[in-house]
Amino acid sequence: MDPARRLGPAQIDVVAQLAVSTVLLGGIYALIAVGLTLIFGIMRVVNFAHGEFLMLGMYLAFFAFTLEGLDPYVVLLISIPIFYGVGWLVYVLIMRGVIHASHNVQIFTTVGLSTALQNVALVLWTGDFRVIRPWHSSVVLRVAGTAFNLSQVVAWAVAVALTIALFAFMKWTHTGRVMRATAQDRDAATLMGIDTDRVYRLTFAIGIACVGAAGVLVSPLYAVYPQAGLQFVTLAYVVVVLGGLGDMAGAMAGSLIVAAVEVAGSYVFGAAWKEVFYFLLFIGVLVFRPAGLFGQRGAETLGA
Amino acid sequence: MTRLAPDRWTAVALFAAAAATPLVTRDTFMLDSVILILLWGSLSAGWNVAGGYAGQVSLGHAAFFGIGAYAAALMSARHLNPWLGLAIGVGLSIGAGGLIGYLSNRLKGPYFALSTIAFAEVLKIVASRWRGFTAGSEGVPVPFRPGFATLGLGHVAWLYLILVLALVCYALQMYLERSRVGYQLAGVREDEDAAEALGIATRRRKVQAVVLSAALTSMGGSLWAQYVGFVDPSHVFSIDLSVRFALNSIIGGIGTALGPFLGSLLITSLETYLRATFSGIQAGFTGIYLIIYGVVLILIVRFAPEGVTGIAARWRTRRDRAHA
Amino acid sequence: MLTLESVTKRFGGLTAVRGVSLEVRRGDLLGIIGPNGAGKTTLFNVIAGYYRPEEGRVVFEGRDVTGLPAHAISRLGLTRTFQIVKPFGNLCVADNVMIGALTRLQRVRDARVEAERVIALCGLGPHAPARARALPVGLRKRLEVARALATRPRLLLLDEVMAGLNPSELAGIIDLVRRVHAEGVTLIVIEHVMAAMMRLAQRIVMLHHGEKIAEGTPAEIAHDRRVIDAYLGDEFNLAEA
Repeated sequence: MDPARRLGPAQIDVVAQLAVSTVLLGGIYALIAVGLTLIFGIMRVVNFAHGEFLMLGMYLAFFAFTLEGLDPYVVLLISIPIFYGVGWLVYVLIMRGVIHASHNVQIFTTVGLSTALQNVALVLWTGDFRVIRPWHSSVVLRVAGTAFNLSQVVAWAVAVALTIALFAFMKWTHTGRVMRATAQDRDAATLMGIDTDRVYRLTFAIGIACVGAAGVLVSPLYAVYPQAGLQFVTLAYVVVVLGGLGDMAGAMAGSLIVAAVEVAGSYVFGAAWKEVFYFLLFIGVLVFRPAGLFGQRGAETLGA
Repeated sequence: MTRLAPDRWTAVALFAAAAATPLVTRDTFMLDSVILILLWGSLSAGWNVAGGYAGQVSLGHAAFFGIGAYAAALMSARHLNPWLGLAIGVGLSIGAGGLIGYLSNRLKGPYFALSTIAFAEVLKIVASRWRGFTAGSEGVPVPFRPGFATLGLGHVAWLYLILVLALVCYALQMYLERSRVGYQLAGVREDEDAAEALGIATRRRKVQAVVLSAALTSMGGSLWAQYVGFVDPSHVFSIDLSVRFALNSIIGGIGTALGPFLGSLLITSLETYLRATFSGIQAGFTGIYLIIYGVVLILIVRFAPEGVTGIAARWRTRRDRAHA
Repeated sequence: MLTLESVTKRFGGLTAVRGVSLEVRRGDLLGIIGPNGAGKTTLFNVIAGYYRPEEGRVVFEGRDVTGLPAHAISRLGLTRTFQIVKPFGNLCVADNVMIGALTRLQRVRDARVEAERVIALCGLGPHAPARARALPVGLRKRLEVARALATRPRLLLLDEVMAGLNPSELAGIIDLVRRVHAEGVTLIVIEHVMAAMMRLAQRIVMLHHGEKIAEGTPAEIAHDRRVIDAYLGDEFNLAEA
C-alpha cells in the first residue's frame, strides 16, 4: 500500500515521484498529528487513544460507503461535527477528571480508553480487514513524470486545508488566543478569568475532530480493522516528538520528515522495513533531542 | 511502611493456596488457571520493579517478554536446551534493559512511556520480518519434549515451577521495600532532584531497576513460551501485553509486593471465566474481556489509584480509628 | 573550604551568573542576597552540581568539583535544600529523613536511629509518621533541612528556607539554622527576608544581575550605596529590614 511502490510504469521520474509521495503522505500525517500536538500543548496530556479515533473515522467512512453508498468526501462533512461531539463527550466523561492528575494517571486513562475502544470495534465489527474502493481511488493522475491517485491528492488537499484552518483559528480568533494563553500558563490563565475547563473541552473536541476527519480521508487508501489506528498513531507520536510536543508548526515539519523517511526507506529497502526507520528516528530524537528538533532543551526533564 | 503486615499474610495465604491446589484437584482447568495467575503475577511484579518501585513507567515491557519468549522457543525449535534459551534471553534483556534505561534516562512521564513503546515496536518488526531467523510473522511452535531439562512438564510440575518464579519475584519486591537500595529507589521515584541532593546516583539506580525488571520479565517470557507452546511476534511484543503487566500492578497496588499478584488474581480469573463462558465466539470473547480491562483501568486510576491494597489499607486505618 | 573562581553560567543568550568569585571558610555562616533574578539559586545549582558552569571552577575542600554530578558532590559532604521544597511526598517524614541518613549509613536500622535524632533536632518529632505531602509549608521547610542534615554535610546550602513563613514559624527556623551552625556545619544561606539575614549571617554577599556587587558584614552591607541602589526600584525595599 505504500505510495512509492504501487505506481506502475517504471519510466516515471523516481526523484520527483518520491518527492510528491512525501508531500502527499506528509499532509495526511500532519492532520493526524496536529490534533495530538494540540491536545498535548494545551492540556499537557499525551492522548494514547488518538489512533482509536482515527480507526473510528475509518469505520464511519466504511459503513457510510457500504451501507448508504455515501462517498467518503460527503462523510467528511458530517464526520467533523460527529467527532467534535465525540471528543466533547470523552472530555466530559473521562478526561476532565484526570486533567490535574499525575502523568501516570493520565497515561493509563488514555491507554485504558485505547484498549476499550479497540475492542469495542473488535466485538462489534470483528477483526476483518475492510477496504472501500470509491471511484476516485482508481483514478490515476500523471503530471510531469509522476503518478498518483486522485484519493491521495484529495486527501492531501483537504488535510492541508483543515490544518491551515486550524492554524488560522488558533492565531486569529479570540478563542484561539485564549487557548494559546492557557497553553502558556495554566495558573495565570485561571487568574485572568479564563475558563480553563471550557478551553480543555474545546481543545479535546477539536483534536478529536481533526483525527476523525483524517480517518475518513484515509479510508479509500488503507484497510480498516480494529488496530488500524495503531500504525498511524505510533507514526503521529514520531511526528509530534520530532516537531516538539505541543508545537503545531513543528508537527508540520515533523510530518514531512517522517513521510520522507518512510518514502525513501521503503523505496530503498522495501516496504517491510519502513517502520523500523521511523522508530529508530523516533528513539534517536527522544534520546538526543527530546524537546524536538527545533525545541528548547530541557522541556522533557520537566516532565512537561 | 506500617501497613505491610496484613499484606504479607494475604501473600502467604495466596501462595499457600496455590501450592495446595494440586493436593485438592488434578483438574487441568483449575491447575492452568493457577499457573496463569502466578505467571502473570510474576510478570507484573517484574514490571512493578521498574514501574512501581523506581517510577519508570514503561509501556514497552513486552520487549523483554518477547526476547525471553523467542530465546526459549528458538532454542527448543532447534532441539537445544530451553533453559539455555532462558539464560540467553535474560542476558539479552539485561543488555536491552540497560541500553533503554541508559538512553531514556532523562525522559520522564509520557516521554519515557513513548520511548519504551517505540523500542518494543522495533523488536516486533524485526521479529516479524527476519524470516530466516525467527520464522517471521507465522510464529514459532515450541515442540513438546517431555522432561525437566527440555521444559516439557505436566501441569503439576509447571505449577510448582511457576510458583518458584512467583516467590522469587515476591522476595525481590520485599527486598525493594525494606532495603537501603529500595528506600533510595523510592527517593528517586518521588523526586529525582531531591534524591541527587541526598547523594543518590539517580541515573544508576534507575538503570539498575530497569535491568532487574527486564531480567524478571524475560524469565517469565521464556517460561510462558515453553508452557503455552507457541510464540507469535504480534502477540509477544504487543502494547496490549505491556499494558497488561502494568494493569495487574495498578489494580492490585502499584509499588507494593502483593499488588501485582492480587491484580493478576482478579484479572486472570476474569479472563479465564470469560474464556470458559464465551468459548463459542472466539473473536467476541477476547474483545469483551479487553473492553472490561480498559474500563477497569480508567476507573481504577481515577478513583482508586493505590489499587486494592491501598483501598484495604485505607479501610483498615478508618476501622482502627473508629476503634480508638 | 569552598572557593569559587570567577564562575559564569549562561542560558542561551542570558548570563545568569557572571564571574562570581567567593571564599567560604570552615564555620562560616554566609548570606547571599539580591533581588529576584539576581542569580542566587543558579549559583547554588552550580555549586551543588546541578548546572555545569561555562567558565570558572568550584573547589570544595581542596578538590575541584566543577562538573561533578550532584550526588557525587553530596557524598563529598556538600548538599543543599530547594527553594521550592521537594519532599518525597508519598513517604512519611521519618522515611524522608532516613533516605538522607542512608547516604552515610549502610544499614537501614542505623539510618532509622540517625533519622530519629535529626527529626528531634529539627522539632519534627510529632510529625514523624505523617505523609510529607500532608505537612503545612512551614514544616515542609523544616523537613527539607532535616533531610539534608541527615546526610551529615560539612557544608550546607539553604535556599530560602524562611520565605513564606509566619513570624512564629520564622523564629523557629532561625533557631534551627543557628543550632545547625552550632553543630559545626558551615552554611551558605540565600534569603529574601532581610531582617533575618541581618541577624543571622556573619558575612553577606550581594548579587545583582548575576554579578557580585558587594560583600561584607551585615552592617557594611546595610549601608552600602550599591546595595541600596540595587534594591531601589525593585519590589523590595530595605525598610522592611
